[in-house]
Amino acid sequence: MKKIMMVLTLSLVFILAACSGGNSNPVDGSQNKETEKTGSEKSSEKQLVTFWHSMGGAGQDALNSIVEDFNKSQDNIQVNAEYQGTYDESLTKFNAVAGTDSAPTMIQTFEIGTKSMINSGNIIPIQEFVDADGYEMSGLEKNIINYYSLDGKFYSMPFNSSTPVMYYNKDAFKAAGLDPENPPATYEEVEEASKKIVAAHSDMKGFALQAYGWLWEQLLANQGALLLNNDNGRSKTPTEIGWTEEEGKSILNWVKHMVDDGTFANYGTNGDNMVAGFLAGDVSMFLQSSASARDVIDNAPFEVGIAFLPHPENKERQGVVIGGASLWMIDGKPEEETKAAWEFMKYLQTPEVQGKWHVGTGYFAINPAAYDEQVVKEAWAEKPQLQVTVEQLQSTKPSFATQGALMDMLPEGRKITEAALESVYNGGDVDEAHQNAVKQFNEAIKKANKARGE
Amino acid sequence: MMLSAGKKAIFYVLLIISAFLIAGPALMAIVMSFMTNQDILTGSLPTTISLDNYFAAFTRFPLLQYFLNSFIVSIVIMLGQLILSALAAYAFVFLEFKGRDFLFYLFIATMMVPFEASVIPNFHIIRDLGWIDRYSGLTVPFFATAFGTFLLRQNFKQIPKELREASQIEGIGDFKFFLKVILPVSRTSLVTYGIYSFLTSWNMYLWPLLVTTNDTVRTVQIGLKQLQTQEQLNDWGVIMAGAVIIILPTLILLFLGQKKLQKGLTEGALK
Amino acid sequence: MRMANSALEANETFMYQVERVKKKNRKLSFIKGMLFLLPSLILFSVFLFYPMLKTIYLSFFLTDAKGATTVFVGWDNYKEIFTDSVFLKGMKNTFLFVFYTVPLTVIISLFLTVIANEKLKGIGVFRTIFSSTMGVSVAAASVFWLYLFNPTMGLLNKFLELLGAESIGWLTDPDWALFAVSVTTIWMNIGFTFLILLGGLQSIDSSLYESADIEGSSYFYKLRRITIPMLSPTLFFVITVSIINAFQTFGQIDILTQGGPANETNLIVYSIYREAFVNYQFGSASAQAIVLFIFILLMTALQFKLGERRVHYQ
Repeated sequence: MKKIMMVLTLSLVFILAACSGGNSNPVDGSQNKETEKTGSEKSSEKQLVTFWHSMGGAGQDALNSIVEDFNKSQDNIQVNAEYQGTYDESLTKFNAVAGTDSAPTMIQTFEIGTKSMINSGNIIPIQEFVDADGYEMSGLEKNIINYYSLDGKFYSMPFNSSTPVMYYNKDAFKAAGLDPENPPATYEEVEEASKKIVAAHSDMKGFALQAYGWLWEQLLANQGALLLNNDNGRSKTPTEIGWTEEEGKSILNWVKHMVDDGTFANYGTNGDNMVAGFLAGDVSMFLQSSASARDVIDNAPFEVGIAFLPHPENKERQGVVIGGASLWMIDGKPEEETKAAWEFMKYLQTPEVQGKWHVGTGYFAINPAAYDEQVVKEAWAEKPQLQVTVEQLQSTKPSFATQGALMDMLPEGRKITEAALESVYNGGDVDEAHQNAVKQFNEAIKKANKARGE
Repeated sequence: MMLSAGKKAIFYVLLIISAFLIAGPALMAIVMSFMTNQDILTGSLPTTISLDNYFAAFTRFPLLQYFLNSFIVSIVIMLGQLILSALAAYAFVFLEFKGRDFLFYLFIATMMVPFEASVIPNFHIIRDLGWIDRYSGLTVPFFATAFGTFLLRQNFKQIPKELREASQIEGIGDFKFFLKVILPVSRTSLVTYGIYSFLTSWNMYLWPLLVTTNDTVRTVQIGLKQLQTQEQLNDWGVIMAGAVIIILPTLILLFLGQKKLQKGLTEGALK
Repeated sequence: MRMANSALEANETFMYQVERVKKKNRKLSFIKGMLFLLPSLILFSVFLFYPMLKTIYLSFFLTDAKGATTVFVGWDNYKEIFTDSVFLKGMKNTFLFVFYTVPLTVIISLFLTVIANEKLKGIGVFRTIFSSTMGVSVAAASVFWLYLFNPTMGLLNKFLELLGAESIGWLTDPDWALFAVSVTTIWMNIGFTFLILLGGLQSIDSSLYESADIEGSSYFYKLRRITIPMLSPTLFFVITVSIINAFQTFGQIDILTQGGPANETNLIVYSIYREAFVNYQFGSASAQAIVLFIFILLMTALQFKLGERRVHYQ
């Protein structure tokens, strides 16, 4: 008891000390400004670059170490990587401070924010630097170039990129009499395999699909379907959705069949819970970003297999759209500063850095030369599954469908398709869910166009 | 009121069960914060106990800096709220002037404006004032508070009006009377409200994330958010360690101030 | 006559002067009152009234991603949200949420208060534990419960498993999600409610109980006839504050469900946040905010009207 009292008293002293410290602090934060000043004086010869990002957790660790390496590798530039919350929060903040001193030098934004960033008018297209510098972008992954270049022009620098793949439990496959080296490739095969899994394991479900709008987009692309009309918004501003009723319903019906069979595991919108369920042996297959590959393989107490994204039997596999985020250069900053940021962007594209990034996180190396790096070779030898993610990306057939959609209302669209998926997971009617989603999606497109005055 | 042994036993059983249910989630977090991720993911009981998660939480971001910022922000908000609401409550209780009741209801109505709903316009104001990344942006918008004014008003109402009349005869002005008499007399409720306001400021999370862009003025709640990932697997042990770290100071404060808090808050609620 | 006249005149001037002094005094006290209120009023104007006016203004427009108005649409935003099935569902669920959380929080806290009000050894420890959830931030509390509700590793499903029951998709099953979020909210609010109710209970005059004891009244009789009526002003305060807070729930939704499954927990404030932060539809977000404000205002007014009559004042 005495000890407890002592701890409490000590904490009180601590609190009081902090209190009095707080009192003497000027409210307007001028003290803080001073420390900032001394901070910049210390590095007065160094050009500061502010880099806003949205990488939390392990991704933040990997990113910070790359930034640190860059800062150590030369004496002229100091990059400050600052976390800004989710992509949504970061973009909202950016939109509000764009054009003021609080704006960063460069910002990381998710792929579906591409059109909003271009519309914002507060960015400098990367192409300007590429041209001025004579930098070669053609070395980058083809699929990535397809997504991020518009009319042959790069607006942002691709960075963390991933695609969805299917993870499966090889041990559970074996036990159910399925061939672990020959995973299901079509919707129908997934359904069949799921039935066998459930028959063999009483407490394991067959398949899980996170209610995630991104996966909806990918499952459409894989059947060659467009998300938006006007070539996915690549030729003109979209006016409505681009997929047909058959294409959209094929996904919902697929899920519906498994829900009815009792082979589907519902984790809602929470991808983390789904992975945890997979690791604990509650479900044998799931779709998820390739960026999780490393984590999943490391943490699974069984052998993990990685397969291509499934497609309907009557459609040929078209491949996947690149996901993830890219880096944008912000307009209105001193030339010195943007140039320094450009140096950092170029540094990020080098094979060594990309190799480290790929191995450290599971995101792709956007520069395929990285796959020849020693670290990558070693990692692949140890985890051959990582290679599958790259194969899927490289075997994608270029088309408007796999190039990916461009529109400023895509974040809203994702929420709409997620709601449709979830209603089917919970026994909802496929026709009704699809009809509602299409209606809401089209309304959102109309509204977004109207708000832009188009 | 004496209780028989049987009744006592019933009460103890009820108390212990309730205490276990209430403290359960926090206890679970504390246990998890010492477990390895492997143990957590496979759902086993802790096989090893380690402090690794705490080390990880401390190295992930400048935790001490965040702590200091949280303290500064919470203390400044607390003082600001105390001063402003005490002044306003004084006016509502001891001064009589035209439009007083209208103003009071206007104050109360502000409680009904959902803060998240006006976040964007507020953020634009902070931007225009140049208060992004400043303590002022984190604190000043919260100084005026209807809840605090309401609570202190109820409290001041219990102070006999004769006190003021006597001081007026002696020629003591309102402001002096406020400083020298009212504030000392209502010490308890001021401390109470202070603790309450400290706790709520410490726990804010959306606003601090929005108005800060770098680590210099960020608060601990943002740290907890940073521990969660978007596309990779969550490291639950580290997240729980982070959560335990950030609730510790508030819990200590709460335990120390419990008696006063309980007394002061009710005085506001009564009448 | 003359004298009388002058007396009257003097009287008149006196009255006039009194009036003037009174007026001056009134003016003075008004200025004084304003001086005391000024700091609050200024800040309210800048950070509350002005944003509120701006919100009203924005609710008649469409905006671009930066929040600048682009097209004037009149009442369209309002018309749209009232035909939007997602908003209507959010409205319904917000009321349901208030209906789940407020009474349960108050009843559980009341129960805790009553058992913690006995003079027993070590009661202080229990009181401290019961009030502890007040010190847990929304972010931390949501993380705790997010884990408890975890379908695979969560303790709740593990417990169900032990009982041999089917596990529940707490946050993914539309039948359970709102309930799960409500449980989290109730847990978070117990601390504050408990503290206030305990204080209220302790300020009840003990002689009331003594005389009841002499009459040999039972425990539950005392509870019903003394405790509850005497506590009614405190209860009224707690209920009012809880309702206002429940309408404004945001943090736990953001961390636990993000409005899912299929918008089942998409409460109004969260929906406003999403309209503004994800969809950049500030016009429609503003219209929703105004509607919510009006609802809270009406509810509180109604409560004061109905509630205050029932409250027993000492």
